[in-house]
Amino acid sequence: MSNVLAVLEQRDGAIRKVSHEVVTGARRLADALGGGASVDALVLAAGPVRGADQLGGVGADKVITLTNAAFGMYAPEGYARALADRVSTGAYGAVVFAASATGKDVAPRVAARLGRPLVQDITDVSVAGGAVIAIRPVYAGKALLTVRVAGSPAVLSLRPNVFTPVQRPRAGTQESAAVDGSPGRVVVKQIKAAPAGMLDVAEASIVVSGGRGLKDPANFKVLEELAAAFAGRAAVGASRAVVDAGWRPHADQVGQTGKTVSPTLYVAVGISGAIQHLAGMRTSKVIVAINKDKDAPIFKVADYGIVGDLFEVVPRLTEEIRKLHG
Amino acid sequence: MIPAAYQPPLPLDRLVLPVGAPGAGDRMDLDVLIVGAGPAGLACAIELAHLAQRERADLNIGVLEKAEALGEHSLSGAVVHPRAFRDLFPDLKDADFPFHAPVQKERVALLTSRWAFTLPTPPTMHNAGHYVASLCEIVRWLGERAAALGVNLFTGFPAASLLVEEGRVAGVRTAATGLDREGRSLANYMAPNDLIAGVTALAEGTRGSLSQAWLEWQGVTSENPQIFALGVKEIWETRRPLDTIVHTLGWPVPTDAFGGSFMYPLEPNLVALGLVVGLDYRDAALDVHALLQRMKRHPLFLQYLEGGAMVEWGAKTIPEGGYYAVPARRSGDGVVVLGDSAGFVDVPSLKGIHYAMQSGMFAARAIYAGLKEGDASAARLAEYDRLVNASFIMRDLYRTRNMRLAFKDGFYVGGLKAALMTLTGGRFPGGKIATESDATVARRITPGLRPGSVVTPDGRLTFSKVDAVFKSGNATRDTIPIHLVVGEDVPAEAAGFYARMCPAGVYEVAQGTLHVNAPNCVDCKATDVLGPRWTPREGGSGPKYKRM
Amino acid sequence: MKIAVCIKRVPDSETRVKIASDGKSLDEAGVKFILNPYDEFAVEEGLRLKEKAGTGEVVVIAVGPAAAQETIRTALAMGADRGVLLQSDRVPVDGLEVAKVLAAELKGAGFDLILFGKMAIDDYNHQVGPMVAELLELPCVTTVTHLEIAGGKGTAEREIEGGVEVVEFPLPAVLTTDKGLNEPRYPALKGIMAAKKKPLEIKPTAPGPGALEILSLTLPAERQAGKIVGEGSAAVAELVRLLREEAKVL
Repeated sequence: MSNVLAVLEQRDGAIRKVSHEVVTGARRLADALGGGASVDALVLAAGPVRGADQLGGVGADKVITLTNAAFGMYAPEGYARALADRVSTGAYGAVVFAASATGKDVAPRVAARLGRPLVQDITDVSVAGGAVIAIRPVYAGKALLTVRVAGSPAVLSLRPNVFTPVQRPRAGTQESAAVDGSPGRVVVKQIKAAPAGMLDVAEASIVVSGGRGLKDPANFKVLEELAAAFAGRAAVGASRAVVDAGWRPHADQVGQTGKTVSPTLYVAVGISGAIQHLAGMRTSKVIVAINKDKDAPIFKVADYGIVGDLFEVVPRLTEEIRKLHG
Repeated sequence: MIPAAYQPPLPLDRLVLPVGAPGAGDRMDLDVLIVGAGPAGLACAIELAHLAQRERADLNIGVLEKAEALGEHSLSGAVVHPRAFRDLFPDLKDADFPFHAPVQKERVALLTSRWAFTLPTPPTMHNAGHYVASLCEIVRWLGERAAALGVNLFTGFPAASLLVEEGRVAGVRTAATGLDREGRSLANYMAPNDLIAGVTALAEGTRGSLSQAWLEWQGVTSENPQIFALGVKEIWETRRPLDTIVHTLGWPVPTDAFGGSFMYPLEPNLVALGLVVGLDYRDAALDVHALLQRMKRHPLFLQYLEGGAMVEWGAKTIPEGGYYAVPARRSGDGVVVLGDSAGFVDVPSLKGIHYAMQSGMFAARAIYAGLKEGDASAARLAEYDRLVNASFIMRDLYRTRNMRLAFKDGFYVGGLKAALMTLTGGRFPGGKIATESDATVARRITPGLRPGSVVTPDGRLTFSKVDAVFKSGNATRDTIPIHLVVGEDVPAEAAGFYARMCPAGVYEVAQGTLHVNAPNCVDCKATDVLGPRWTPREGGSGPKYKRM
Repeated sequence: MKIAVCIKRVPDSETRVKIASDGKSLDEAGVKFILNPYDEFAVEEGLRLKEKAGTGEVVVIAVGPAAAQETIRTALAMGADRGVLLQSDRVPVDGLEVAKVLAAELKGAGFDLILFGKMAIDDYNHQVGPMVAELLELPCVTTVTHLEIAGGKGTAEREIEGGVEVVEFPLPAVLTTDKGLNEPRYPALKGIMAAKKKPLEIKPTAPGPGALEILSLTLPAERQAGKIVGEGSAAVAELVRLLREEAKVL
């Protein structure tokens, strides 16, 4: 019987949302491994962690908090050692991380310590003939690589926003233990706030983009309001045409030849959809297009579209989004 | 509307600088500097290296290429005559050369909008013994050999100006990198470099800026002005295999324009096709890219393209003036002019690559002999002209000297004249047909016609210019300084003419005024012939052709 | 300062991906290969640190086929002092095997800093740097966007979700670099000439098979045309519902 270890993340003493995805992925893997494999969810912290009790709902049999005064913030070497020790002493068939900034940093260290390969940033996982099979995007998402992991444990990190949390309630028994050890030579002194100002188009998880259909630079206000309605998660982008015309700064440009953005949600407003633009945003998870021309090429690529006057549609959309967040 | 009225002159003050002019960063000294890593430039470099190697001499040869990597700005049909390869590499066999299949079947057809009538292949167009090839692959192959021989290849470095001392060319200055649209330096700004050499070989390809500048500066003329055609080309992966090289005349080229199409199998299921139209077309609304899109719907092409995928797109001009447009001399103090820059292209056979390579080799021999004697004067380098004049290059061009020019009178009259010339081996009609430069040809404006796509592109068989430019691999930095010199007060008619002329969508008409999307430019040089002047820009800009 | 920069030869990001006939690898016909863009930040940073220190050397190391010599020459043209090619026709898909080969080369060489790009743009593995650090038992900070080194210690910044981590570490250390750390210099003409004469050592290497087996390399499903939800502002409510319940992005 090989259990699955799901490595959780906490910040400021609370479980991060992405950990629900990690447990979900671990649960899926444990079910595929069969034989009653269980999911142990593990978090390293300085003390008790809020939200740990919710993880049973997405499939954790056990939630373990390992505490050490120096583990409040991420301590790369201390975490790596503690996790590797934990894995070596348990009978784990797989160890699952989030492919978050921290996850992508600690997972390779743990894997190297264990002498095991790491399959980083996967989008799907299954089991065949007792071996873990993982799928991950390569070549900037232009291809998918399927690999089989020989031996045990398989060390994996999951791409965020892919393993949507599913309620699969399990016991979620809470455990806590102190763990020894120094934090290590690499010390996180502080977490600064991200630089003030607008979210960068290339980093925002939601991008609202405008093209020539906006007709006038002043009309971009309509998009700014929509972006604001997403409570800090959205950036306003612009097609090359309007940047060339001087309506928007170059930093907002999407679909520049060669530049790619890959947000969770991309809303193209008044943009017809030339290949150049599409190549810049086609790896977005969900694309919404709003255009008054029903034959605009963008509708061929958009997941959802509204044909209509953007000056009517967008304010209405802003209203609905505000209601959601209100 | 006469395009020349709105076209600024060649900016000689930018293109010709005195040695020691301020503004350069580093200076490098070479024995031979070659501008352009196309077939002419690389053949010249290789031949020079071979000559030096034979005599165990040490020759410092540098080749400047504006594209980021070899081949990325090279585009041709192409069906290649192997003789220059054989001359340059006498120890290699045809099978060693970077060719695809030898030409087996060929066909010439006259098209109407629905039919294709096979014509007997004109004698000038017989391609037995020739090979289908990709110029990009040829250039990369030549480049590898040049590098192995110790030639210094500097890709990503365009030559922006000639450096001159009295009447002599002393070298070139490269373009600066890392400037924004307002001309301000960015973090990775690099100053221009001066490259000083005993001899500079200008192998810039079609409508080379430095070549034009040198000819004008030195007052070197030709009997006829050089004239050009614009070729727009696509490469397709096809479901149905092609085993024939095809040339067509007629539709969709209007009868008051000169042009035709080609379709060649690089591989049975990898087809290169394109449309070439002379830039002296009369209708101001003619749009070569749009005509190509329309042409693809003809059954002759559609049968191959249906269900396939376009993998590359590109465009380039071709010098078509032939024998009478070749400059009186192509050598001077410290300089020689090679290949397309000298006009060594034979239109009736659609050949230029082997002439380019051969001219490079002749230049190398003249340069080497001169350097050995420490003499790079015009008198010494004139040996290059003598070699070219006595060779098959000028012999071939002379035989077809009036053929293209005959078509100045239109398709039918031209066709008749051309047939007579073929039958009489060029003797009748004899004499020289005078021509005017493309920019001075008057264009017919159709009132009320707005510049736009003639065919609504479907994104599967037919493509808009914006989509096409993407397929050329063009990823030019959007904030790059504008490299095109636009005339003052360009009226809406001329702006509309430019918008149709440019295959890459650089020019647009918005509210009656000309809008310039300079980063779209794929360096075809049509603009330099008919409209705003083209100047060298930051290295690595422009298309990134892979197998064109 | 003695600095090593580990680099990789990768296909250009504009490459149109074609699967080779074995169904497991990229068809390399006509593919243009370049120096991994993230490694450029590493090379640039190495050069700047050496220039600031006034003395030292920057050594670039690559694991790859013979053609990777060209990639090393690019880094030499930027200003690196010498190069080492750990030559292997096959670059293992298992990053740990690559890390073992590099660690063996780096061990005991006395580098103050070992720099990597955070990831390669072909495999997006994001792991070889920290794995090498573990094998060499050196401190490591990944995805560095800001760096200061003084008196045998370093301070780095790295982006995390919603913030920036400020990290301190002692030298010698391993760092992986991210976009924003610096603006890599273009190789100068003189640099390109000089690169030809700089030492480039080639050492044939045989990485282990590793514990990952490639089953297939496939193209993703074509993005399907979605649906037009409706016309005008009347369709907005339905759109929002779909985004919440079907697409789950809100």
